[in-house]
Amino acid sequence: MKLGPYRLQLQKRLALSSAKAGAISLLAIVAALALFSLLFILADVNPLTAYQKIFSYAFFNRFGLPLTISRFAFLLLASLAFILPFRAGLWNIGMTGQLYLGALAAFAVIFLFKGDPATGVRLPPALLILLMLLAAALGGALYAAIAGFLRGSYGVNEIVVTMILNFIAFWLVSYMIKDGGMFMNPGGRGESFELPAAVRAPMILGAPFTIYLALLLALLITFLFARTRIGYEIKAYGQSPAAARYAGVNTAFLPLLVFLLGGAVAGLAGYHYFAAVPGVYKIARNYGFFGDLAFYGIICGLISRGHPLAAIPVAFLFGGLSIGGRFVQGELNMSFGLDYALLGVLMITLVAFQFFFRYQIAWIKTDKEPRHVGIRN
Amino acid sequence: MWEFATRSLEASTIFTFAALGELIGQRSGILNVGVEGAMLFGATLGFIAAQLTGSYLIGLLVGLAIGALLGLLHGFFSITLGGDQVVSGMGIWIVGFGLTTYIGNPYTGPLGMARIPNVFGLSPFVYLGILLVLATWFLFSKTSLGLRIRSVGENPAVAEVSGIDVARTRYFSVILGGMLMGLAGAIYGLSYNPVWNYNFLMGWGFIALALVFFSMWNPWLLLGGAILFGAMWQLSLSPELVLPGFLSRYLWRTVPFVITLLVLFAMSSKWFRGRWGAAKPAALGEPYIKG
Repeated sequence: MKLGPYRLQLQKRLALSSAKAGAISLLAIVAALALFSLLFILADVNPLTAYQKIFSYAFFNRFGLPLTISRFAFLLLASLAFILPFRAGLWNIGMTGQLYLGALAAFAVIFLFKGDPATGVRLPPALLILLMLLAAALGGALYAAIAGFLRGSYGVNEIVVTMILNFIAFWLVSYMIKDGGMFMNPGGRGESFELPAAVRAPMILGAPFTIYLALLLALLITFLFARTRIGYEIKAYGQSPAAARYAGVNTAFLPLLVFLLGGAVAGLAGYHYFAAVPGVYKIARNYGFFGDLAFYGIICGLISRGHPLAAIPVAFLFGGLSIGGRFVQGELNMSFGLDYALLGVLMITLVAFQFFFRYQIAWIKTDKEPRHVGIRN
Repeated sequence: MWEFATRSLEASTIFTFAALGELIGQRSGILNVGVEGAMLFGATLGFIAAQLTGSYLIGLLVGLAIGALLGLLHGFFSITLGGDQVVSGMGIWIVGFGLTTYIGNPYTGPLGMARIPNVFGLSPFVYLGILLVLATWFLFSKTSLGLRIRSVGENPAVAEVSGIDVARTRYFSVILGGMLMGLAGAIYGLSYNPVWNYNFLMGWGFIALALVFFSMWNPWLLLGGAILFGAMWQLSLSPELVLPGFLSRYLWRTVPFVITLLVLFAMSSKWFRGRWGAAKPAALGEPYIKG
């Protein structure tokens, strides 16, 4: 395109400062929200009213804000679980399955030690909560390790494997909590038994402790990437597995390691959702609906470009949007699944914006007289 | 037993359509991991269109059209913008999953139309599927168009120099592939399981994706794999027809996925990997920027 002496040109970016990357990410989110307002218009709802309701419920309402904070911790953990392998150039889209296994492992601890008439459990509750956390992390880690091992040692595509593991885990949960499964609620409602009050996650300043845990993990993972040998090896492998190999990185072990770490974090997300969010404390009948929210983690991870600290505000915003979206859907009589539609629109906008991470549009001043004389131009 | 055979053949047909769509795209060098998303769109919009108009044909055509549109979108992201094909495919899948949940929800429940009649005891799509395999084989081994598609998937730079329009050939392949995925979804939602529900595919697209890897990009091997996986899928859905009272029905549902994992693992053996590497389109997943 030409405009006077200027010409519009696409240039490949040589480097992208984090401020610019942040600006592009922000622009992608704004564009997605603008695009999403089409859905409100199609449903005869004023988008401005809808967004005003979404934001005021999610961030300023005394019922909405605690929900947003709980959802935020879940999304942050899911994002971190995505980011750890992502920095090594590997795709973990199995957070859903890993968090199911984490939740099952945590509930298995209580299943083994329940029964005392006074507190409902036969060990000190504090010890049990610690055991549940460890079990959740271990369950998620070992499950994800299947994908990491197959990738590292046999070169099997991790996207297909993690997705397949999601489906297997989904049916395993059904097996455990429905039709007379081991964890079935004695009331027979096709959901798991409820956690005894003594082993529900303790609250700190009115919020489940897992929220602080998620923030702490974001800091730790930042430190891991910035300051440790392992973090360096992960990044090197992400740049070029072949080069990392020459630099002495064990290229069979590294994929296994990042999946173990990512899976452990995803397992904690499972603990958070099913054992720490106030009012839940069980694996509900429609657990699939909560598990699938973990796919937001992919988007958070991509928008924050693999930076754990950048994932914090993004997860907070998306947590609020998904809670607020669910709220206005009831408030404005819209169809169910608005929060999932938002997930889709955000994702596809982000894919389009990937382009701007690599290219920039520039106005180039062109000379009026062409200088193409001779064989050299 | 007969019912089991016919149902499992119909399931195989759906795998065949979706996987052939993926195979055609991959042969041109474009990987689309969003098969499940394209199928969900085809299934949901096809279902809604058929219910609103009362016509199966319109439902199938809508499935075909939305598949083509998603193929075009994937092409735009990965061919014109030269982006990461995995990111774009994930986008197609998540947008399919997210939007169809919202769009389809008011239509939750059965389609409420007379079933599509069988032809000689089998769903008409079974015959269509076999024809399609034949056509794909013919396309790739007997026509110059097929050769062009294969050449842009193997070495786009060389293809470009020999006068082939790489971008156009790739667009053609991903759009055609997308159509087949959308149609596969529509067949699922209109004929195989005409009851709309939240995320009602539960993994068909990902199994189809794995089938393409198993087939070593050969349509006949793909058909064989699809028949096996169709039977296995059907077995996992209704095990009581064959093995009553054995294993929980939930554990049965994991069987096709577990077997997929085992096959992926077996295929990583050295013997297989050599052959697999030779069959794999060399430029698969690589963006091509015209130099």
